[in-house]
Amino acid sequence: MPESEPRLIRGYLQVLAAQLPGPIVEELTDGLTETYRSYRTRGLPADAAAEAAVEEFGSAQEILAGFARVNPARQAARRLLGLGPVVGGCWVAALVTSRVWPGPEPARVVLGLVLIACIGLTFVAALGRRYRVAVYSGIAGCAGFAALDASLIVGTLLVAGRASGLTALAIAVSSARIALCARAAVAAQQNT
Amino acid sequence: MRAEELKGHLDAVLLAALEGGPRHGYAVIEALRQSTDGRLDLPTGTIYPALRRLEQAGLIAGTWSVVGGRRRREYRLTPAGIRALSGRRAAWQDFSATVTAALESATRVNTALENAALEDTACPSPNPA
Repeated sequence: MPESEPRLIRGYLQVLAAQLPGPIVEELTDGLTETYRSYRTRGLPADAAAEAAVEEFGSAQEILAGFARVNPARQAARRLLGLGPVVGGCWVAALVTSRVWPGPEPARVVLGLVLIACIGLTFVAALGRRYRVAVYSGIAGCAGFAALDASLIVGTLLVAGRASGLTALAIAVSSARIALCARAAVAAQQNT
Repeated sequence: MRAEELKGHLDAVLLAALEGGPRHGYAVIEALRQSTDGRLDLPTGTIYPALRRLEQAGLIAGTWSVVGGRRRREYRLTPAGIRALSGRRAAWQDFSATVTAALESATRVNTALENAALEDTACPSPNPA
């Protein structure tokens, strides 16, 4: 929006720009400018037209909440949280029955800490109302889960030498989660 | 009509607004106002997340252009969007016809009962006692 446009509209767009990705803000700027111009065309003075346009557009909080709901990172995080117990259950069953533990104990402690961090990040992405926070925590959660799954697969194969039964199933669901994480991270990246 | 009353039908209404050809966000709102004689009172800004959701679902596709030095995003229906609109329109017509029939039937029954009560008042039945 040009500098000549009222301060009210510039301030309103700045609030949105602080939270939302550039392309979304550009689209909202175009819509708000059109709304403002339609009031100017109807004869309202600049300040009154700006006030009417902002009122018609809805509150910034309303718009931010609307975009938070359609954030791809939030939707991917919810799918990851749903898939988590399945992947975790498969690995617990596989490791307990085969008695194969990937890597030495310190490495397993690190994997556990990474798992807790990933769950935390994914919860932030799934429940967060701040668009950018949800995107960045979602991408970090996806990267963490993918690294965790890859470590489990490689560690188990190195120790056991082969995968059969429940271990093969756990590797399959982990591979599916790596693919999901990759797709979700790319989609989230496109929305930053 | 407020946005909350439209809940569940916003997607179909937005798809219908794009049926006539590609439109940008503000033009969608204008089309809805014209087609409903201004009875649809939506906060303009709230349709943008809805358009994004429809795009993510593959029902509409957005493209950028530059108009008056500003970037503008225009949306058009995809083949999946055309099918979805057709399905939602048929479902709405079915729902609307069913509810209208039920409401009109209830009105007819109530009118008949009221008429019967009036007739009873005008001509009371003889008291056997």
